[in-house]
Amino acid sequence: METLSNRIRRLRFDNGEMTQQALAEKVSVTRQTIIALEAGKYVPSLTLAFRLATAFGVRIEDVFQYESGPAKKK
Amino acid sequence: MSRNQKFAWFNLAVIALSLISVFSLVPSLGWQRAQGGLGIAGLMGLGVLFYRKRPGEVVMDERDNLIFKRSYIWGHGLFWLAYVAVSVGLAPAVYGWEGAVPVSVVQTSVFWAMFLVQASMSIAILAQYAGDSKKVE
Repeated sequence: METLSNRIRRLRFDNGEMTQQALAEKVSVTRQTIIALEAGKYVPSLTLAFRLATAFGVRIEDVFQYESGPAKKK
Repeated sequence: MSRNQKFAWFNLAVIALSLISVFSLVPSLGWQRAQGGLGIAGLMGLGVLFYRKRPGEVVMDERDNLIFKRSYIWGHGLFWLAYVAVSVGLAPAVYGWEGAVPVSVVQTSVFWAMFLVQASMSIAILAQYAGDSKKVE
């Protein structure tokens, strides 16, 4: 089981309580996409992931955390 | 509400209006002539206006595009299932193996197919956005 979590909500608040709309405008997506990302309902493309990291001025690993479960038996 | 959602609601409204007009005309005009009410479906062409670009506004982002693509696959996949079911099963059952399908049935089937595609696409769009606007700030 693979999971991709993110700290977007935390990072927004750490960046002067940035609103979802302000972040959406910064990374050129809709506010609904930010909501879906924060809820873990949408996995972004690599380019959007980099845009988000750049918007917060952090590395991509500081925004997204990947966890992989035990590998499937062949 | 995203552009896709507006587009989906608009299409569903036009489909509903077309069906209401057809079925309300049947008692006075008969089934065949009442299908002229399907012309209202032409309003669906205005759906593209929801995707007009405005300066400084994100019309469609990558998630919107993905949702639209998935919905397109759903709509057209369902159409093919219905097409096969009608062609292989229903048409021979109604008209017989040696029978002839009336021209009016072929003509109006285009509209019914369009309704099926657009309605299933619209429902798929709305289902994928479901619950989005509940989490504010």
